[in-house]
Amino acid sequence: MSDCEAIDETIREKIQDIVVFMCNECGQGSANTAGVARMGYDPAIRIVRVQCTGQVGPIQIMDALNNGADAVACVGCCLGACHFFNGNILSMHRIKLMKKLFKELGYSDQFVNQYTSRAAEGETAVGDFEDIVDRLTTAIKEEGTIKDGC
Amino acid sequence: MDVKVFQFNGCNKCFNESLLLKLSSDLDVEYIKDPKTWKEEEIETAVITGYVLPSDIDLLIKIRSKAKKVIAYGSCPVSGGIYALANQNGHETTPLKNLVDNVIEIEGCLGEIDELKSVIKDLELTKPRKLCDLCTRRATCEYLDTVNRQIELDDEETCFNDLGFLCSGFVARECKERCIDYNTPCRGCKQLVGRSGIRMLGMFGTLMGNIEVATEHSVKGATDKLADEEDDVTRSLPDILGNFFRFTLTTSGLPKGRIPSSGSLLEDLFTGRLIEELPLITGLIGGDKSISLTLKIIESYEKANQMEVSEQTKKYREKLLGLEEKLHDAIEKEDAEQYKEITEKIRQIAGNMNLSNVFFGGFKSKIKDEDDFEDYKSHIFEVVEGTYKNGSVEYSIDSEGIIKEIKIKE
Repeated sequence: MSDCEAIDETIREKIQDIVVFMCNECGQGSANTAGVARMGYDPAIRIVRVQCTGQVGPIQIMDALNNGADAVACVGCCLGACHFFNGNILSMHRIKLMKKLFKELGYSDQFVNQYTSRAAEGETAVGDFEDIVDRLTTAIKEEGTIKDGC
Repeated sequence: MDVKVFQFNGCNKCFNESLLLKLSSDLDVEYIKDPKTWKEEEIETAVITGYVLPSDIDLLIKIRSKAKKVIAYGSCPVSGGIYALANQNGHETTPLKNLVDNVIEIEGCLGEIDELKSVIKDLELTKPRKLCDLCTRRATCEYLDTVNRQIELDDEETCFNDLGFLCSGFVARECKERCIDYNTPCRGCKQLVGRSGIRMLGMFGTLMGNIEVATEHSVKGATDKLADEEDDVTRSLPDILGNFFRFTLTTSGLPKGRIPSSGSLLEDLFTGRLIEELPLITGLIGGDKSISLTLKIIESYEKANQMEVSEQTKKYREKLLGLEEKLHDAIEKEDAEQYKEITEKIRQIAGNMNLSNVFFGGFKSKIKDEDDFEDYKSHIFEVVEGTYKNGSVEYSIDSEGIIKEIKIKE
C-alpha cells in the first residue's frame, strides 16, 4: 500500500467508490485468491460479482456512475480464455466506445476501464486495483472528477 | 375545445405542423409565435413546441399554472431534440419535464399530428409497435467486420446494421416519417425504451465483435488490459455522441459536456458531426427553410468537388425549392388545407419533412414509379478536406469528414 501514501490527500478524498465488475471465473477467482493470501487493496474498491464481463454494458456502467461511483472498471478473464465464448472481448468493445464517448464530452477516458486477471494469481487482481486508483488519481488531477458535470 | 400552441426556441417545423389541428372542426386553435406576447389568460390545453432553456422557466411556470393540460409536442421540448447535441459544448437545453411537472410528452421529430389530436381529445392511444417489426429488411445480428459510414443502395433486404451502417431501429418505435423507407437508417427520434442511446451503444458495440480492439500489457496487474490508444473500433465511429445520442442526450444521464463553446448554439450543434450527416441534420432543424438550407450545403460540396449531378436531380431539386416558397405562403396565411397539400407534395419527392431522401449527388430512393432510378441515384462520395461556401452557409471539414467550423447566417 506504499503507493497510496504518495497520493495527494485532497484527491484521495475525492475517490470514495470505484465499482469493479468482476467475472465469476477469473476475475472473482483471483480476488478470492488474493483474499486467501491476505493481500490488501484500496478500500474504495467495491466489487460486484457478475457471471461474465460480457453481461456488463453501457447501461450498467452509467447506472453506477449516475448513482455516485467515481469510476467503473471490469475485470474479466485473459484474452482468449473467456469461460463462455468471447464475453471479455465484447465487453472491451463497449467499454472502448464508452471511453471515446467521455472524451467527446470533454472528460478523461479513465473513468471506465477493463482489465484481465488470472484466477490462480491473487496479485493480478490487486495489481489491477492499484492501476485503477493510479489512473483515476492522475485523471482527476488533470481534468477533474466526473461528478463536476453529472 | 380551446388550444394554444406556443413556439419556443429553435426550428418551427412542429409549430407549422400543428396548423393541421385547424382541420378538426371541434378545436379552437390559436398560434403564439412569440410566447412573450401571450396575454396570460386561462387555457384548456397548452401545446409547447421548440426546445426550452432554463431561462424560459418563468414563462413556462405561468403557462403551467394557467393551463389545464400541458403537452410537449416534438422531440425538442421532450428531450432537447437534436439541439441538445450542443450540450456537448456546455449549452443547457433541458427537457420540459425538468422545468415544470405534469407534462404529457409526444416524442418524434416531426411530432405526429394524429397523436397530438388524440391527446388533446383524451382519446386512447394505440399501443406502439417496434420499428423493426415493420421494416422490410431482416437482421441476422452477426458480428461486423467493418463499420460503413456510407453504403451503396443496392441491397434492400439486409438490415442496415448487418451492412455495418448504424441504424437505431432496434430501440425505436414506429413512426410516420419512416426514414427507413428512403434508404436512410432510423435516427431514433421515437424511443421504444428509456435511455435508448446508451442501449443502442451497447448493442452496436457488441455487433462490432469482429473488429479488432487494442490491448496493452498492464505492468501492475501483469496481465493484458484495454488500451487507451486509438484503434479500429474508435476510428470506425468518429462521432459517437452525434450518432447514438442524436435526440436523447439530455435524458440519457450522461454528464454535461465540457468542450469549449464557440458561443452560438447552432454552430456548436454542428461542430463535430460528420459530413454525410449534414443534410439530415439541416433537414431536421431547418424548419420552414430546411429545403433551401439543405440544398445549399449539398450543392456547395458538389460544386467544389465536381460531383456529377443529373438533369433529373436538378429538376426535382428545383421543384422542392418551389414547393418551399409555396409552403411559406401557406404558413403565413395559416391555411391548413394548403399546408397539407404542399407538405404531401414535398413528401413525394423528399420522402418526409426531414428530407431523408435528399442526399449528395442525387436521391436515395425512387421518387416516381415511371422514373429510371439510375438517373438520379446517389452513390458513395469521397470525403474531401476543405472549406465550402454557398451564400449564407460556410463550413469546413477535416480529412475524416468531421465538421470543424460552420457559419449559418439567417
